[in-house]
Amino acid sequence: MKTENVFQITNLNLHYGTKQALFDIAMEIPKNQVTALIGPSGCGKSTLLRSLNRMNDLIDNCHVDGLVQYENDDIYDKNYDVINLRTRVGMVFQKPNPFPMSIFDNIAYGPRCQGVKDKKTLNEIVKNALVNSALYDEVKDRLKEAATSLSGGQQQRLCIARAIAMSPEVILMDEPTSALDPIATAKIEELIQELKKDYTIVIVTHNMQQAARISDNTAFFLMGELIEYDKTDLIFSQPSKKQTEDYITGRFG
Amino acid sequence: MTYRNQFDKELEELKISLIHMGDMVIKHINEGFQSFLSLDSSLAQSIIEKDKLVNEQEYKIEKECMRIILREQPVAKDLRLITAVLKMITDLERIGDHAADISKMTIFMENTHHHFETKQAGLITKACAKMISQALESFVNNDIELAYEVIREDDIVDNYFEEIKNAVANAIRSSSIDADYALYLMMVAKYLERIGDHAVNIAEWVIFSITGEHKKLNPI
Ligand SMILES: Nc1ncnc2c1ncn2[C@@H]1O[C@H](COP(=O)(O)OP(=O)(O)O)[C@@H](O)[C@H]1O
Ligand SMILES: [Mg+2]
Repeated sequence: MKTENVFQITNLNLHYGTKQALFDIAMEIPKNQVTALIGPSGCGKSTLLRSLNRMNDLIDNCHVDGLVQYENDDIYDKNYDVINLRTRVGMVFQKPNPFPMSIFDNIAYGPRCQGVKDKKTLNEIVKNALVNSALYDEVKDRLKEAATSLSGGQQQRLCIARAIAMSPEVILMDEPTSALDPIATAKIEELIQELKKDYTIVIVTHNMQQAARISDNTAFFLMGELIEYDKTDLIFSQPSKKQTEDYITGRFG
Repeated sequence: MTYRNQFDKELEELKISLIHMGDMVIKHINEGFQSFLSLDSSLAQSIIEKDKLVNEQEYKIEKECMRIILREQPVAKDLRLITAVLKMITDLERIGDHAADISKMTIFMENTHHHFETKQAGLITKACAKMISQALESFVNNDIELAYEVIREDDIVDNYFEEIKNAVANAIRSSSIDADYALYLMMVAKYLERIGDHAVNIAEWVIFSITGEHKKLNPI
């Protein structure tokens, strides 16, 4: 069976002002798999992640060259619908960032913005999102409470629920567990395994064991360049590039 | 480089422990064969007892590997190195068993005062000891060529085994060998031939550790 790619990146170069952050990136992101981006701080992982749903547009002096295709469409084309892209390609950040409103309203926020008004439909969307983010049992009796009353791990799963409520196809995660304790981290990791049945996941992580545990593919970046991209098992048992080997074995630093 | 010092030291120590285990079994093979040649059952008995030390060394290395896996969560060539060590100690332990098996033959022969001269028996013993020590040397020095050399040397061991078998068969035909002695000698030769196979396994794990590929050069 041939794997289908949701993203196809070709010759991607990205500058912040005069500073080049990505050099000639070429890679594809396979559907319904978890793809991990690893590498030392500042190597361009977050930049690449943000270029997949044009979050970089929000940064003033950011300039993108090259081709990023989502479902075969060039997302940097003038006529491309960015709002639609960000609906289909959701994002979860490093620090849980719940809105200052109730648990329910946090999740209903996106669908409401899209014009969903029917109470019953909203209830269903919220419940589904909570079930799918493995949070439902913990919060079902307190949906009206402030989202900020949740623990850090629960807040992060709420953010995942918020992303799911938009029925995206891809979820981008930028170090989603780096602010969480081991148990909350384990829950998110387990959740990611569940989510990949329905979504394509791209995750930035600085935790190499995490990349090895949860991802199908791993891309290793160094100073804005994609050094090696392969099946995760291969990267962690038999990397083909010396820089990859040095980095993952901690000989680099 | 700096924050790996402790880990690198642990890997070096692991290699030293492995070499130590290798030295033990090589010594036992030589002594086991010596006990058979001279029908020295007290030497044989001492080897059978010393085999326990080999088992203990295997256990010690195994525990050390598990501790490193737990604490360092090794990946890439570190992971392959630990995996290779865990597999190699199994082969070394079996080699130790065979050295003890050879010694047991000596003890069974206690009352058979017979001698049968084959220069190949001495040669096969030497060849086996060399294969083991080269296999371990290739591991310590990351010397893939030497590992392949060990795999090729197994043919020499197999040839010696054939020659011993033919010599014994001829001696049986001409009734110039004691029947029990012939059987025990063949057993000893077979144990040595198996020792050669285990040395090949070790060399194959060396190749795996270096390249990530496990080559069966001579598929059975
Ligand atoms: N908004 C920005 N403006 C200017 N430079 C930036 C901006 N964001 C990131 N950079 C630079 O781009 C490079 C890559 O950063 P980033 O993608 O955040 O790396 P990573 O996520 O791998 O730590 C770094 O050198 C960083 O300083
Ligand atoms: Mg980042």
